[in-house]
Amino acid sequence: MDRIACGRSVVDMIEIEHLTKRYGRKTAVDDLTFTVKPGVVTGFLGPNGAGKSTTMRTIVGLDAPTAGTVRVNGKRYAQFRSPMTEVGALLEAKSVHAGRSAYKHLLALAHTHSVPKRRVREVIDTVGLSDVAGKRVGGFSLGMGQRLGIAVALLGDPAVLILDEPVNGLDPDGVRWIRELLKSLAAEGRTVFLSSHLMSELSQTADHLVVIGQGKLLADTTVDEFVNGRGDGKVRVVSPDAAALAERLQGPGITIASPKSGVLEIQGTEAAVVGTTAAAHGLVLHELSTQRASLEDVFMEITADAVEYQQTKEGVAA
Amino acid sequence: MSATMLAESPATYSPPAQFRLSGSGLLRSEWTKFWSLRSSWIVMICAALFGAGIAVAVAFDFTIPPPEASEGANAPAAPVDPLTALNVFFGFQLASVFIAVLGALFITGEYSTGSIRSTMSAAPRRTGVLWAKTAVFGSIVLAVYSVLILATFYATQAILSDTEYGGLALSDPGVFRILSGQVVMMVYLGLLGLAVGAILRNSAGSISFYVGAILVLPMLMVELPWEWVGDIAPYTPGNVPNTLAMLDTTGATLSVGESWAWMGAWLVVSFGLAAVLLKRRDV
Repeated sequence: MDRIACGRSVVDMIEIEHLTKRYGRKTAVDDLTFTVKPGVVTGFLGPNGAGKSTTMRTIVGLDAPTAGTVRVNGKRYAQFRSPMTEVGALLEAKSVHAGRSAYKHLLALAHTHSVPKRRVREVIDTVGLSDVAGKRVGGFSLGMGQRLGIAVALLGDPAVLILDEPVNGLDPDGVRWIRELLKSLAAEGRTVFLSSHLMSELSQTADHLVVIGQGKLLADTTVDEFVNGRGDGKVRVVSPDAAALAERLQGPGITIASPKSGVLEIQGTEAAVVGTTAAAHGLVLHELSTQRASLEDVFMEITADAVEYQQTKEGVAA
Repeated sequence: MSATMLAESPATYSPPAQFRLSGSGLLRSEWTKFWSLRSSWIVMICAALFGAGIAVAVAFDFTIPPPEASEGANAPAAPVDPLTALNVFFGFQLASVFIAVLGALFITGEYSTGSIRSTMSAAPRRTGVLWAKTAVFGSIVLAVYSVLILATFYATQAILSDTEYGGLALSDPGVFRILSGQVVMMVYLGLLGLAVGAILRNSAGSISFYVGAILVLPMLMVELPWEWVGDIAPYTPGNVPNTLAMLDTTGATLSVGESWAWMGAWLVVSFGLAAVLLKRRDV
């Protein structure tokens, strides 16, 4: 009953304060501070080697911070009496002995917390591994290994889910499935924290974003703000009368580009203005849309300086 | 689920309260892990075949009457010590290598496959996992080898019943000490292998270390020109259980009691180091 008294709904579920982690002389995470809230999907974005996995490993106590603190629901992870129901983690795909069956792997973990076999069957069904649960994991594809990892994370029915690159290796069906799963888990009031270096993936799944590069915090904001706060929106027009329309739209502060014939990309105005102008001059439009700067664009912009492995000029050309 | 929960805001999630990490849970988990690997079964069966198989084969060899005293020096002086029949157990020395390697793999396998991450995420205080592994593995070796060595004793005695080596009973002087010594030795060496695995965390490294430093090095030590090196050889981790299974302990450096004490000391040292490292190192 103590868990109810601690007011789960009020606190930030994951609190990371001034987290620094060094491996020898290499600093993987550098004075990182952010929180992750329950009830929403929080994306953890950064280029490869940015420190995402390291941060996640410190949350479940696999790595000890060099400095700073990491707390889950106000406590250090090792202090929990039932860690598996507090945090479920997928840290790397196929972290399973290749000679063991998926069922036995889950069962062994379930035993630690006296989780019944029924629950093991349940998570196997949830991730869609029922047909292969008795097979040795060595023969699993990357996608199946990933599903097993997700089953492990779900096993304790935890309040917090930490998933490192969960869509890696999943087929398009699997990607859609996990997206829906994570959203529904967050809707139940759980904390869902998933990392990705694929910006497009997070834009479709996450509500909130924590962006890091070279171990440092670059942004901690909602997905909408992240995109809208940077880069102007563009209006895209497809029209057989593109040239005439471009002429009518000319004005101060407006830039018009034509990536290909019959297509205009207009900055500095709004779709409504373009539509009205076209109608006033009797110009035909086949398409009229507002283009937000893609998460990709903003991400590239923000992490440009923070990419660990800066490609050489020749490398970029390749 | 509970009324208190319903009173909170609808988007508040409380995890199931009935799932709880426990020592008995860790034991069941390690038990499941051990038996769910084919390699455990194979190594256990190999160890049993080498131990018991060699004993039975040697026992049959004992039943062949020696050729007429032409080999002079090797011919046993009459009357024979009936305990000589227990020499058939030397195959279990080989079996102990299998058991020690299995002990090491029981933990290094988790590191090489990455399953250690889910293991330690479920039990973040970590040392409980080490103690559970130790208890499960130690108990399995104890149970299997108690049965196996007793069965081997009766089987070889049945084979030898018509010879001068036959007719031994469990209650005869020295018999129980030697048989239980074989079992204890097996458990001790298996646990030593487990501790080496926990310290080194790498399969190849642990096996090499066990075979090289624990099995072979003490044998070389007595060959070295410095006397003191040979003098400490009986106290090395791989040698301290030897007295337990000796037919005649009168000439042994360690008494049976000292042998027990040294085994205990080495286990405390190795598992102490393993536990400290397990707490301090990143997984």
